[in-house]
Amino acid sequence: MIEIKNLSKKFGSHEVLKNINIQFDNGKVYGIVGENGAGKTTLFRCISDLEDYDGKIISNPNPIKNHLGLLLTEPFFFQKITGKEYIQLLINARNIHIDDIEARNIFDLPLNQYASTYSTGMKKKLALTAILLQGNDYFILDEPFNGVDIKSNIIITELIHKLKDMGKTVILSSHIFSTLSDTCDEIHLLSQGSFVRSVEKSDFSSLESEMKELAIGTKIDRLGLT
Amino acid sequence: MTNRRFEDAGIHPGLAYFLLVILFLGISIYLFEKTEFAEYFYLLSALIIMGNLSETRRTEFLKICFGDEKLKEIRLLENITCAVPFLIFLVYKQCFISATLLAILTIILALVNFRTSLNYTMWTPFSKRPFEFTVGFRNTFYLFFIAYALAAIAISVNNFNLGVFSMLLVFAITLSFYSNPEKEYFVWIHNVNATKFLLSKISTAVLFSAVLAMPVAILLGIFYYHKIGIILLFFFTGWAFLTCVIVGKYAAYPDEMNLIQGIFLALSLWFPPLLILLIPFLFIKSKNRLRYLLK
Repeated sequence: MIEIKNLSKKFGSHEVLKNINIQFDNGKVYGIVGENGAGKTTLFRCISDLEDYDGKIISNPNPIKNHLGLLLTEPFFFQKITGKEYIQLLINARNIHIDDIEARNIFDLPLNQYASTYSTGMKKKLALTAILLQGNDYFILDEPFNGVDIKSNIIITELIHKLKDMGKTVILSSHIFSTLSDTCDEIHLLSQGSFVRSVEKSDFSSLESEMKELAIGTKIDRLGLT
Repeated sequence: MTNRRFEDAGIHPGLAYFLLVILFLGISIYLFEKTEFAEYFYLLSALIIMGNLSETRRTEFLKICFGDEKLKEIRLLENITCAVPFLIFLVYKQCFISATLLAILTIILALVNFRTSLNYTMWTPFSKRPFEFTVGFRNTFYLFFIAYALAAIAISVNNFNLGVFSMLLVFAITLSFYSNPEKEYFVWIHNVNATKFLLSKISTAVLFSAVLAMPVAILLGIFYYHKIGIILLFFFTGWAFLTCVIVGKYAAYPDEMNLIQGIFLALSLWFPPLLILLIPFLFIKSKNRLRYLLK
């Protein structure tokens, strides 16, 4: 369980997160949506203890970081480190011992190639594989579907279902609504640093319609296409 | 960028350059007065500085911005600028062989791009515990060949000093593996406290640097067994410097090592017993710096 109480975060005078209150329970999948710059990544960094913040984040276990798999929007890879070595680095960091890393390569990545030469989607899949093999109980996946091919998209969706069945907690962000409605139990809409709407699975379709209305409005008509 | 760093440290660039010249002259005079290894230290220091300038991403960036021909001119100019003070002093001290060697290496390191011509995954003995040595070894492997070749030459011409220099060169190359701070994520992922993290980094570095330096040490030990004490002393000094650079890096983390730390490290080169004080001091500082990421 992760409970966030009155969380605020400022960069200089700019308040990125404003009085966030939310609870993430075990065995559930949570979606965080919001426009670019709404504060999603900052929220994830605060939960991960990568940022200082005002307010409280209570978790069980505490600190959560040693049980948390964090997938960054754009995972970073050292030059001249292979995919296999990247996985080895991440599992070593958690004192996990795995002999057959190649056998766990569910995305069929070229693990003996330098990871910095991978495409965006391959990098994401490699980073995801590594945090899955770390044996975490909590996962923060910042745009896990971004740049990933259809086949891998299906695998990631199934993986999230599997993690949920195993009682793990998954918090993810995505700009593709269908991927969220396929995987999440709750979706929370973040706007200008505050949660403005939270919906459960039964109300996802109404949220989608609302968001569509909000995003599109009369914009397409303004183009005057005939 | 160097000017900006001086300004960030609160020192006027003009004054900083003046102090650097004084420091360089002072260390040079002292070094040549006090040790017979001075010219090798000299060569080594110049090569380390030039090695940093040939960093892959930096070279790639310059290539994208200026193109192939201009890149070579820039790299040549950079290397010559770095090498000239060392060359002048070596010539002044009549160390003509070292000066010639430095001049040749200055040009080679500027013009030859070893990395782009070798586009395959290089095996390393360090894959089980990435990343510093796996990445570092792949970026600088050719320097190890130079060091081992120097060790072989040292034996063949019966020059013990050159042999010790080649061993120190191996350590100096491994020091460069720790010159840049990694992204916070790669510290954050560890589920140990700061002390254990630092000890793990140091033990890995000690083990892997030994793997690389041991061939030279064994060779010297066989041919100069009566000087085994000196060989071991330099071996342990190499380890001490490596430890110091690691704790120095994390003492400034996530920023790069600052000027003051650099000066203390330079002073330790001049007077290695300083490391006995410097390592524990930087270790404690590193622990405090890493505490926000490692709980």
